[in-house]
Amino acid sequence: MEARINGRQVEFEAGDTILTAARRAGAYIPTLCELADIGHRPGTCRVCLVEERQAGQDRAHMVTACNTPMQEGIEVFTRTPKVREMQKLQVELLLADHDQDCATCSRHGDCELQDVAQFVGLDQSRFARREWSKARPVDDTGPALVRDMNKCVRCQRCVVVCRDVQGIDALVIEEAGGIGTHVTMRQLNDQGANPCVTCGQCVMVCPTGALAARDETDTVIDYLYDPEVITVFQMAPAVRVGLAQEFGLENAEGHIITALRMMGADVVLDTNFAADLVVMEEGTEVIRRVKAGQKPTFTSCCPGWVNFVEKNHPELLPNLSTAKSPQQCLGSLVKTYLAERMNLDKTRIRNISIMPCTAKKDEMHRPQHEHDGVKDVDLVLTVREFSRLLRREGIDLRKLEPGTFDNPYMADYSGAGVIFGTTGGVMEAAVRSAYFLVNGKELPQAEVTALRSFDDIRTATVAIGGGLPDLKLAICHGLTAAREVAEGVLAGRYDFDFVEVMACPGGCMTGGGNMKQKHSYRADSERRRVTLFEIDAKRKIRQSHNNPQIRQLYADYLGEPMSDRAHHLLHTHYTDRRTQAEVAAKEIWREIRTALPKRPTEKA
Amino acid sequence: MVRVSYGVWDGVVKDNRGRIPVEIPPDPDLTGFEHFNDGNSIRAFVGDRGFVVFDPETDLVDALWRHMDRAAEESCGKCTPCRIGAQLIRDALGEARAGRGSADSWARIEALAHQMAETSLCYLGQSSANALIAALEHFRDELDERREVTPVENGASYVTAPCVEACPSKVAVPRYIDYIKDGRPDLSLGVILRKYPMAATCGRVCVRFCEMACRRNAVDEPVGIKILKRYVADQQKGLHGHIFSPDRVAAKLPDSMKVAVIGAGPAGVSCAYHLLLRGYNVDVLEAESEAGGMARSGIPSYRLPKDVLKAETDTIVELGGRFRFGRALGRDFSVDDLFAEGYKAVFLGLGCAKGTLLGVAGEDPSHAGYHSGIDFLLAVHNHVEHGAPFELGGEVAVVGGGNVAMDCVRSALRLGAKKVHLIYRRTEADMPADHEEIEAAKAEGVVFHCLSNPSRVLEENGRIVGVELVEMRQTVPDKKGRIGVEPVPGTEKTFHCDVLIAAIGQQVDKATLSADDGVQLDKWGCVAHNAQTLVTTRAGVFAGGDCASGASTLIHAMAMGLKAARGIDDYLRVGHPRFFPRSRMRQLLNQNKLLSGECFEIPVAHQYRIDIPNLAPEERARTFEEVEKPITSAEAYREANRCLRCYRVYSVVTETAVPTGTR
Repeated sequence: MEARINGRQVEFEAGDTILTAARRAGAYIPTLCELADIGHRPGTCRVCLVEERQAGQDRAHMVTACNTPMQEGIEVFTRTPKVREMQKLQVELLLADHDQDCATCSRHGDCELQDVAQFVGLDQSRFARREWSKARPVDDTGPALVRDMNKCVRCQRCVVVCRDVQGIDALVIEEAGGIGTHVTMRQLNDQGANPCVTCGQCVMVCPTGALAARDETDTVIDYLYDPEVITVFQMAPAVRVGLAQEFGLENAEGHIITALRMMGADVVLDTNFAADLVVMEEGTEVIRRVKAGQKPTFTSCCPGWVNFVEKNHPELLPNLSTAKSPQQCLGSLVKTYLAERMNLDKTRIRNISIMPCTAKKDEMHRPQHEHDGVKDVDLVLTVREFSRLLRREGIDLRKLEPGTFDNPYMADYSGAGVIFGTTGGVMEAAVRSAYFLVNGKELPQAEVTALRSFDDIRTATVAIGGGLPDLKLAICHGLTAAREVAEGVLAGRYDFDFVEVMACPGGCMTGGGNMKQKHSYRADSERRRVTLFEIDAKRKIRQSHNNPQIRQLYADYLGEPMSDRAHHLLHTHYTDRRTQAEVAAKEIWREIRTALPKRPTEKA
Repeated sequence: MVRVSYGVWDGVVKDNRGRIPVEIPPDPDLTGFEHFNDGNSIRAFVGDRGFVVFDPETDLVDALWRHMDRAAEESCGKCTPCRIGAQLIRDALGEARAGRGSADSWARIEALAHQMAETSLCYLGQSSANALIAALEHFRDELDERREVTPVENGASYVTAPCVEACPSKVAVPRYIDYIKDGRPDLSLGVILRKYPMAATCGRVCVRFCEMACRRNAVDEPVGIKILKRYVADQQKGLHGHIFSPDRVAAKLPDSMKVAVIGAGPAGVSCAYHLLLRGYNVDVLEAESEAGGMARSGIPSYRLPKDVLKAETDTIVELGGRFRFGRALGRDFSVDDLFAEGYKAVFLGLGCAKGTLLGVAGEDPSHAGYHSGIDFLLAVHNHVEHGAPFELGGEVAVVGGGNVAMDCVRSALRLGAKKVHLIYRRTEADMPADHEEIEAAKAEGVVFHCLSNPSRVLEENGRIVGVELVEMRQTVPDKKGRIGVEPVPGTEKTFHCDVLIAAIGQQVDKATLSADDGVQLDKWGCVAHNAQTLVTTRAGVFAGGDCASGASTLIHAMAMGLKAARGIDDYLRVGHPRFFPRSRMRQLLNQNKLLSGECFEIPVAHQYRIDIPNLAPEERARTFEEVEKPITSAEAYREANRCLRCYRVYSVVTETAVPTGTR
């Protein structure tokens, strides 16, 4: 089928919109609410205006390109004076109720709304009213995420990613009359009943600064400049690839180490080390459970997943591995083992982790992660906040000479530790070590290719030896897949021994704390995954149990996996947090009465 | 007859300014625009397609401001031009109205009006500035006029959509679909429950006038409004108890304010529900031992599981009402008895409980194997739900083409009939039954015989053995284009069957009402009533549902239940029927067909309607298990997003203040 865009003949297929056809033809149309990567085109921003004339008609119509279908013989014009004038007015209207304190916004300079304003050449904002730009709520009740509805453009990307991609459906739209209408959380003021697991995928798709992780950069700077505080940093496996792309690098590990030292970090550690440790603890636990006939065991390193189980299927809590996540294991050892070895005053230590994850901000506040009133981890920075911290400290990663870890106790890592950052990595790391733990010898081949597809649910059966039955393994990523596996296990549809779950689609490398990319969702995931596997392939040591610092830790301090001390420091428990939302009928009737079309009334 | 001073409608400009009224010819296209309520003349009318001014002294700026004020109030806030544009226009018109307009502000209003009309997402935004644009284009002088502060005009405005107007109960369909989109099925259900308590029932068996009126018909297929209703009703089961708690009763009236509802069918239940919500003490008297009426006995459980129905009729009890089962009017009590017992008003929801005879030779309802459609369905219900003995064998012939006929053929199959035939005198396309029902019956193996009619019933020893059928043919269309049917002489032939079911209509059972009751029937054998208040020929006695309208649909019956509740409330507490501006607006829209003939100028992307999951025909044809399966949340969100929100605003400016009736 054929049509014309700006006078040029273009071909298109059934199902094409003007926007998809124009993109293919290289005709740029500004967009704001649309997000092709998740098939989202709500048509609410009305910015992607074009003129369209149907075959045989004289008059052209103004239409939105995102949701108007291509038709045989139509002519589309993307740059007429009328299009430009109406696009410009549209953006001016968009800004009328938008909080325009851009300088203080987390998306300053990186905002899709600013981009369209630049594109249309907006030179004034005649309609902005302060009472409009402060009309909606700012929700900062949670530890991880802040939702400022005064910066919301009503694109509904967050609602859809939570509903369709993650299957959580925590976000709802509150009809509050025109300008007041906003996105809110189900059971907003009830942390137990609200279904949010703080995975942060909503933040990843927000085109503006309406959704953000709670910003902790200021506190980090306070720590760094306080001579009394000993700052101990850790970076998660995926951080080195998640931040790298922002600076045109493949792996930013060395650059981050140098930057941290420049900022005055006292100790720089790697969460990869703790990942190796978790493999030892969790691997031992799984083998014990298999021997005892308990199954399945679910991984517990993903706090989004732990929240999901606690809030949705607490009957699976006994199946969660009791091993803490690498972040928390590292935090707890820093204030005990490391403090002893390095002769540090543990009350002066502040553990700061750099994470590709918003749920880690939530995880560090779990009451289970305190010993004698001292938190294992004191502060979590997402990759985005860390990037902001670099800017605030005037550091450009690209100009730095990469450094290396130098801590003799808790910074070395195996290839198995680094692949924790992508889906399947935890399982592969565990298989490498479980085989050794059972047989006393290494798997002939470190890569377990059977686990390396990218399907959202994948299964494999692995002969583990040692007289044990073959292990039935499953890996899933994204909470829609996780829900399917959890419910399938409960319903008896699935029979697994060990299941790895990562709440974010793709795993930590595309977690909710990563750098955002405008107009895209998970666009860079393939490259990040490849880089993580390359780092693994290049490590001399590929198995967690062969990490010399891990051996040293067990030999000098913990004894053996799941020893009493290991149990005290490295294992945790979970709680049933499922609550039925109490719906007050009166509340519903009140809402409905106010929202329904009003009766005809006398207007004064 | 009404004379237009000036205006623009559908782009046609009328300008009679400067002529004295008698010189202006009455407008032939406008009906009923003389007065809004008694003695209150309409000075101007503003709608989605333009505006008309009748009284040249009307302040046009004020009329447009009133209209845009309502639009701004209704804007959902999701798309940019309507969210902000409507507010800015309203405020700018407000300034102009107060004498503070300027050339600059009018230019701004014009740009914003075009922005709204040409770029809004839904029809509310697309349509509400049209009148303003027309006024700016053709009657700029009326707007630019230097003015003092304008006195406030009187009037009313009304927001609706084609689906809402098509629904007998006027359920705010786009509103409850919006709540689904928003992720709030609880509020969605609440919207439906404002009109009637039987949402899950209606979500299963409604005939869907709304879907026929859905503007998506012009794009691909109508929005699955019914299945969405079932989705929210089923999904919110747990909420049911909360929603129906007595919390909802606004203010309980004294014990003496007592109303008797006769018949626990959809009309009676709906009437009782609305009376209870208004604080009345309500007793529902029912001849059978269960509530539900025709929805219980007339709709087979493969379409409407009886526990679903019961949960919804039980709301009457949850709201503090009382059922008195086994109490039949005419047998156990009279209308006089009820007044003597202290009831202040009576609602008759008697239904049409008697089957209509075929009216052909040899027909005798006492013959073994002969049933009327509704008697048959009642026997099926008692058999399936209560295990009452009921044998059905051999070949079954059902006469009729409505939903009752479809229920009969499909039930007969499920009871083990060897073969089931449907006999209908017109063509299949003429059948009043739901298309889905017809397709389902065919899929399950019913044999259709169209253009065919019984001319004689055949019996042997008091048993049905067959029927003589005559072929029918279509007549040439009459002046109004109607095509009739007539028998083809000499085509009579014998058709064997063991069971004959006449499902061609139902009537009020004449045994229920006696002359002493003082309630008269009309020439169709229905209870005579006032169309507005539903009062019968006896003061204090109201009627609704099938007994008043003739055999009709669930949704009509429930709508009449609400109307009667209002009528009773007005009768008992106000003393006279109140004026309802909304009803009056609907009347104007209807009389002038203001919601018809719409088309889409801009192409809309196709998104096909959800496929409702069904039990496979071979699985379901022999069981009474529910055929239609529920849809998932993901499917509900997708289907809800197909709604185009065809809201529009209509406003009138009137001479004096409009009384408001609704509570």
